[in-house]
Amino acid sequence: MADSMIKLEELTKVYEGTEEPAVADLSMDVPEGEIVVLVGPSGCGKTTTMKMINRVIEPTSGRIFLEGEDVTSTNPDLLRRRIGYVIQQIGLFPHMSIRDNVATVPRLLDWDEHKIDDRVDELLELVGMDPGRFRGRYPRELSGGQRQRIGVIRALAADPPVMLMDEPFGAIDPITRERLQNEFLRLQADIKKTIVFVTHDIDEAIKMGDRIAILQDQSIIAQFDTPEEILTNPASQFVSDFVGSGAALKRMNLTRVGEVTLKDWPTARSDEKRDTLRNRLDDAEQDQLLLLDDDGRPRRWLHAQDLRTDDELTSVGEEVHGVISANSTIADALDQMLRSHYGTAVVVDDDDRYTGAVDMAVVLAAAEAMGQSAGADAQHRLADADVETTDEEQVSG
Amino acid sequence: MAAFWNYLSSNFDTLAEHAWGHFYVVALGLTLSSIIGISLGMLSYRNPTARAASLNTSAIILTIPSLALFAIMLTLPPPIGGLGARPVIAGLALYGLLPIVRNTIVGLNEVDQAIVESALGMGMGRRERLFRIEAPLAWPVIVTGIRVSGLLMVAIATIGSIVNGPGFGQMLLSALARIGSATATPQALVGTLGVIVFGICLDGLFRLLVHYTTPRGIRG
Repeated sequence: MADSMIKLEELTKVYEGTEEPAVADLSMDVPEGEIVVLVGPSGCGKTTTMKMINRVIEPTSGRIFLEGEDVTSTNPDLLRRRIGYVIQQIGLFPHMSIRDNVATVPRLLDWDEHKIDDRVDELLELVGMDPGRFRGRYPRELSGGQRQRIGVIRALAADPPVMLMDEPFGAIDPITRERLQNEFLRLQADIKKTIVFVTHDIDEAIKMGDRIAILQDQSIIAQFDTPEEILTNPASQFVSDFVGSGAALKRMNLTRVGEVTLKDWPTARSDEKRDTLRNRLDDAEQDQLLLLDDDGRPRRWLHAQDLRTDDELTSVGEEVHGVISANSTIADALDQMLRSHYGTAVVVDDDDRYTGAVDMAVVLAAAEAMGQSAGADAQHRLADADVETTDEEQVSG
Repeated sequence: MAAFWNYLSSNFDTLAEHAWGHFYVVALGLTLSSIIGISLGMLSYRNPTARAASLNTSAIILTIPSLALFAIMLTLPPPIGGLGARPVIAGLALYGLLPIVRNTIVGLNEVDQAIVESALGMGMGRRERLFRIEAPLAWPVIVTGIRVSGLLMVAIATIGSIVNGPGFGQMLLSALARIGSATATPQALVGTLGVIVFGICLDGLFRLLVHYTTPRGIRG
């Protein structure tokens, strides 16, 4: 395990007027550069736990360390400026422009205005929002997804080493949520922040987390492990109940499209000759060609009968609905395949250019690989256990 | 009706003087009331006890009949007491407190808690949260309170003339004193209309003020 960025020691919170602690004696290490997801049933204290890290909720007892420094009783405002904070409702300031929203923490830290401007533009570009268009806008002029992106870059503005995210994708429609999750994972691959992420959704936890802490009542840790371990070796009945049925299916959330070998689909360009295309389709095992536009973006599915007409290729066949990216999971791909007519999900890169396709064969190969690695892990553990037993025998002998 | 127009044209200068006097006491009374009322609201909105205390106090003040309040003012030592504009301004400032205090408290408490929490979580201190986040968001509600106070003061300032305060009340008092004489009725009529027109103008002014001082991002 890497150095721990956040260390919680016997953290306890008892709310005024209650006997039972909301969080009892929680100790946890959050390694640098990882996403640790706190997940559990509602009321288990996961949000309270997260909010004690930046002391939006003050702990009753216990200690908090950030980068090795005891911050349990330092100035809370200075502490919070070192920790990015994203909540479910996002809480953008409606009376401030996007620029001023993003500039909040840099201003508190007395950054130079020029530096702030540069930083705001850089961050907007990072989440694919044109600074010229969005800098001067107000939150109510943005869509839910755009507001969420602003919420994230506002938390990133002063480049804090740590981010706390409380159900950040909770209030967003499923399709946008999926995109934002993928986008965020891509972003995280670059920025490598230490992130504590709270959700009640085990599927989101599996998708987002490098490590997952499954919490029971009073934030008692039922299991703190990698998603693979939690799915293959749940530590208790509580964990397996919480993970629910279909653990094998959920493992589909662990492998990303970018990690598997994609299928090459026969493609077509609109300026190619009909004969060439017909020959290509005859030679291919597939029943359709994928028409790309001049920039290489997938546009339409072309069948043999579409190639027999003289109509423009861009007006025949069927439009390509929904594409996935290298960051999508195999589960996303499967979902897309089931929705498309051809049992195929088209994969595109950051510029929406075609890079390959996922079909059933690809998914099955991925599932097999996952099963093997999980099996190998299990065997490995058995071997370890053997060694331990042997050791004990030797000692007792 | 002829008597009314006659009166208006031959007494235009006096009318202008009374309008100015009325404006003077209302403007100063409202400024004082806003400063005191907003401060009271900001100091008390988070604490239930303090909140109840400031609301109840300003509510009780409003129940004192204005005639009685100005009579009390008369007995107080200067600079507040005595005759003239000062006791009227002080009285108006007290009467105007309730709508301003109440709207300040309501406005600040109505700010979306998610917004306040995100400000807190980003490391904004108590004062920054109040002045940079809560107060600007509560502003439209606060200004509405000031507007209501202003209208209240336009009416009450008329009574202030019994302690010799300036304004349209002077015309009404003198008309009352000379009831039966030829100019009494037109004078009372002009004085009353003056108050009404003044009130309408002030209301319009405040609607503009609310619009232009509300931050663009939350303007309705």
